[in-house]
Amino acid sequence: MWLLSFLPDALLVWIINGVLLAGIVGTTVSVLFKLAIRWIPWIIPYRTLLLVSIVLLLAGVYFKGGLAIEQEWRARVRELEAKVALSEEQAKTANVKIEKVYIDKVKVVKDTQIVIQEKIKNVEVKIDSQCKVSSETIDILNEAAKRPEVKK
Amino acid sequence: MRKLLIIIPIVFLLSGCLTTPVKRKFPEVPQALLVSCPDLKQIETTDKLSEVIKVVSDNYGMYHECRIAVETWIEWYKTQKDIFDSVK
Repeated sequence: MWLLSFLPDALLVWIINGVLLAGIVGTTVSVLFKLAIRWIPWIIPYRTLLLVSIVLLLAGVYFKGGLAIEQEWRARVRELEAKVALSEEQAKTANVKIEKVYIDKVKVVKDTQIVIQEKIKNVEVKIDSQCKVSSETIDILNEAAKRPEVKK
Repeated sequence: MRKLLIIIPIVFLLSGCLTTPVKRKFPEVPQALLVSCPDLKQIETTDKLSEVIKVVSDNYGMYHECRIAVETWIEWYKTQKDIFDSVK
């Protein structure tokens, strides 16, 4: 049936109806007018016509059923495509919103940092006059700030 | 001719599979989230406590930014998963 998916809807209906109609007409003609056709075998080869008609009839009936399923599938595909398109649009909108919230939050952190740095500057002299930091303290802090190496 | 008439319908009858033509794209992550958290700042050799505090508070700021990034990643995943799962 996947072969049907290569053809557009209208052409598919036209072909299948044509095949079915040809099968019905051919079979009817070859069965009902058996004798008449037998008498004029030079015009139409009777057995070949009957065989071809039956094949066309069977193929027509089969593909008529297949067409209904195919159309149902195509409708479902169209529905799913619409849903996917909508979800992709929603994903893009969500991304814009999430990114904006992220940028706003980071801005708040950076603004807070500026305020804190200003506060430090204001009490700098007072802090430095009251306390001296030893080099060991700095070494420990730097060591703690280093990213530990993890073996992969 | 007869063989052909038998073979062609059989080929059509046996080709009963249906392809799945609907393709889905994985949503793009915002560029701002694709940046790794930077290493913490190191303190220059000094005896001034104010210099130490400046670097430490900068590092706190970097931690907060990194935490926001992780929270945003979690929110991004949950939101995109909900949207993805809504298509059935």
